[in-house]
Amino acid sequence: MNDSKWTWRLVSLSSIATTILLLVGFIYAVSDILYPKGEAAVTSLPAETQTPAAASGGEYRIMALGDSLAKGTGDNTGNGFVKRTVDGLLQDGKARLVGNMGINGLTTAGLLEKLQEEGVRYAMRQANIILLSIGGNDLFGDSGILDTGGDGGAEIPEGASVPVLPGTAAGDTGTDLTEEEAPELTPESLLAGLPEAAGRLGEALQRIAEINPEAHIYYVGLYNPFGDVQELLVPGNQAVTAWNNAVMDLINTRGNMTLVPTFDLFGGHLDKYLSSDHFHPNGDGYQRISERIIQAVR
Amino acid sequence: MINLLPLIRNECLKIIKKKRFYVILLILVVLVPMFTYAQMRISERSRDKFNSDWRLEIQQQITDNQNSLSSDRIPEEWKTYRRIFVQQLQYYLDHNVNPNEPSGVTFTREFLDNSVNLFIPLLIMAVASDLVSGERTTGTIKMLLTRPVRRWKVLLSKLVALLMFVSLIVLSVVIISYLISGLVFGYKGFNVPVFTGFQISGDTVDMSTVHAVPQWKYLLMQGGLIWFVSVVVALLAFMVSVLVRSTAASIVVMMAALIAGTILSNMASAWTTAKYLFMVNLGLTGYLAGTPAPIEGMTLTFSMAVLAVWGLISIIISFAVFTKRDILN
Repeated sequence: MNDSKWTWRLVSLSSIATTILLLVGFIYAVSDILYPKGEAAVTSLPAETQTPAAASGGEYRIMALGDSLAKGTGDNTGNGFVKRTVDGLLQDGKARLVGNMGINGLTTAGLLEKLQEEGVRYAMRQANIILLSIGGNDLFGDSGILDTGGDGGAEIPEGASVPVLPGTAAGDTGTDLTEEEAPELTPESLLAGLPEAAGRLGEALQRIAEINPEAHIYYVGLYNPFGDVQELLVPGNQAVTAWNNAVMDLINTRGNMTLVPTFDLFGGHLDKYLSSDHFHPNGDGYQRISERIIQAVR
Repeated sequence: MINLLPLIRNECLKIIKKKRFYVILLILVVLVPMFTYAQMRISERSRDKFNSDWRLEIQQQITDNQNSLSSDRIPEEWKTYRRIFVQQLQYYLDHNVNPNEPSGVTFTREFLDNSVNLFIPLLIMAVASDLVSGERTTGTIKMLLTRPVRRWKVLLSKLVALLMFVSLIVLSVVIISYLISGLVFGYKGFNVPVFTGFQISGDTVDMSTVHAVPQWKYLLMQGGLIWFVSVVVALLAFMVSVLVRSTAASIVVMMAALIAGTILSNMASAWTTAKYLFMVNLGLTGYLAGTPAPIEGMTLTFSMAVLAVWGLISIIISFAVFTKRDILN
């Protein structure tokens, strides 16, 4: 009986104390949510900033920036040329992926916005190799192919309930659009935005060089994805060549930048190296791009 | 006229003697290490991938979420959710604060966020579901009611004892998960800032009212909200245990309701009247963290009102039924 007396005292006192404590928390939480007072955040609180020790020399620290090609859209393994480049360079010694900031559908204008973000700038400062793939959406963006191309099943998000198979969906829309939009793609329409886009790219390259002057930038040149459509072969080739030349002019003036050509990798072998959306490379195509990059890095 | 206090004391001792509370503690001691281990593997993997640089990890998370926004196959609600998520991550990044700084306190905070919908209500049920129906199953209810005590006092004493244990359960969840996860992640982290006050409207987040709160205060606020949710769940389970004859049936009824709630909040955003069900309103801590509510139009006030109404109705029904009903078996 004495035992239960103490149990009761313990339980009653501790539960009353706990209830009061939780009630205080409850009132505090409700008032905080209903009447939030914005304050100049983190003034009094110490922001914890533990930066990892600067990486030792001789290590490739790779960061990728740009559009769906940088992201690896169309590669069924999801690796893209970025992961493949890292894996290839690993054979030389140490190589590490700092981050892949490739975003589907990014244009040069979007890239300039990205370069303002502190997180992106931070990642760029950590890298000594920056892989850049941009421009394809400026050139072909109006054709609407990139917008619907989506990620060609490289990753399946929580959308497991989506009934359509990702691969087929992307493939179908891709083909349809190519045929539909075919007549609109003339060299003139493709080249109309080129001077402005090239100007933005120049600005972006300038900013990247300012953010991290130590890093070497590898720009992945464009290829003509429409070579298998008869009436698009010539205009596409002309537009892509004009763009690559414009980029070459920008890059030649700086010492720490390299243009990695891909035009010849795909010309005539589109069926082998393009994914089912007829726009992005497939795994083998990315492999070829990454081999080029590795040759340029070594 | 017998005072209420001895009755409450009696009920408390019954709960303890039945070892229900120990079972709850045991469940926590077994399960929390599992969650801790899983969390440890996650943070180990990200340490390998991102060279223990959380900024790179957050930036990658932002990029990945932005990428999924461009896909047509993702439902619009998920995109809204991700847009909001991206803006919050960006805020943490801009203010140089790691939202997932590994520590025992952070683990506890996340554990509470994840367990408010199902796990903690389940623990509450373990005590609440057999308070009355258990007495009927064993037949002891007759002894209880033949004493010269008004029936409502008997029921009230049970209810008060239950609420006392609700507080203790919430506290033990916090303490046990802190103590166990601290073994792995360290016991520091009480002063790490956490941002709260994200005002969500549509798919944009108003940052003007965002402010930093030290993590210990955040835990306290979470505890308070969880306590409120737990009290309502306890009242409902209590009512079911008055209405239903067998303990097993009473547990099944409550379990079904709770599980239906988690399923509904994942898919019911199209069926807006579902927001008047108590089960989808259990995630009060989401309003603190700034996660968008499962159904449009839900706010903290709304959810609390819904829960309060459900709780009040279940008290009324419990007492009305218990004082009127003939005890036969």
